[in-house]
Amino acid sequence: MPTILDLHSHSEASEDSRAPVEAYLNWIKLRRQHLPLDGIVLTEHRQWNPDSDYRALEDKYQIMVLKAAEVETDYGHMLVFGVNDDIASRFDFANVYLPAQELIDEVARMGGIVVPCHPGRPNVGLFEHYQRKPALDNVIAVERLNGGSRKGENERSAELIAKFGYKATGGSDSHLVSLIGLCATRFEADVKTIEDLVRELKTGNYEPVDFRPKRPQVRRAEPVEESEHRG
Amino acid sequence: MSNLATIDKFENVQIGAAIGPEQMFLSKEQARRYARACGLDAPRFTDDEGARKEGLPGMIVPGNMSLGLLTKLVTDWIGQSGARIVRIGTTYRVLVQPDHTISLQGFVTHTYPEERACEIDLWIENEDGERMVTGTATVQFPR
Repeated sequence: MPTILDLHSHSEASEDSRAPVEAYLNWIKLRRQHLPLDGIVLTEHRQWNPDSDYRALEDKYQIMVLKAAEVETDYGHMLVFGVNDDIASRFDFANVYLPAQELIDEVARMGGIVVPCHPGRPNVGLFEHYQRKPALDNVIAVERLNGGSRKGENERSAELIAKFGYKATGGSDSHLVSLIGLCATRFEADVKTIEDLVRELKTGNYEPVDFRPKRPQVRRAEPVEESEHRG
Repeated sequence: MSNLATIDKFENVQIGAAIGPEQMFLSKEQARRYARACGLDAPRFTDDEGARKEGLPGMIVPGNMSLGLLTKLVTDWIGQSGARIVRIGTTYRVLVQPDHTISLQGFVTHTYPEERACEIDLWIENEDGERMVTGTATVQFPR
């Protein structure tokens, strides 16, 4: 049975979000018709909390909550799925200069997978780093659809995927409750646990899905050039 | 006062309710006047050429003005209900430039019945649908 997961979200545990996990789940429940998600993955910035437990909320809302992390590397931001004690001991997630190649290889060796996120974003995305550094080895998938991307960023991600043959994921990168689930990933297989998710990301079939509402065209005004002369 | 729908009491606040969108054309003169009134008389807020000398693409809107516009969106929604904004916070993701049409929008995302309060997501979009400024506000209603 296919599974749809938002693979990239931030709750109030991240310093730049005020979204409670329960508010995310309630929002999805209320908007199920437009957001047919089976679950979300919390990818808090630069941290891993093994003790946070969302089982009661999962039961209450019948929506899966999995945990991962978003870390910062010398090739930009990356999502780490399948974090375990070995991985958490091996890497300091608070380090904003983690060595990407080492992270990818070591996380894979220890049972997880690293997925570079918003690769088309300036400064923090893989695309720009590849312009001046060698491509990374052993990258399996990158985030093709990011709900927080500016115009052109997701297109650059697609270009990267086409060039290197990466698999493609989607995630909302939500920091606000009302943005959860707008981009997600549809897996062909049943995904019920983080182990399932890691297995499917490595070997399974999946694709990004876009639930962003179509917005009406807004008339673009022509900017008027102005220069102020001070006397 | 805008034409936005207003809320009359906490009991009618619904999670998922939209606030806006409200579209407005933000002129350079409006941004310039705001900057001057706030003592932000820097070229980046008043003059395209001066802004470019600072490495910017042209005049930009002061962050406090964006915050003010989102605050007004919420106070227009509050209307005469007697509610008040107890907290509002914004994140600046993309430069807001004047001489463009912007859209202000919000959603009620959470309620706290015991406190008679609600949480609201807010943002300012440009013509391309990019969320330039995002934020949240907490609104409390009288008992």
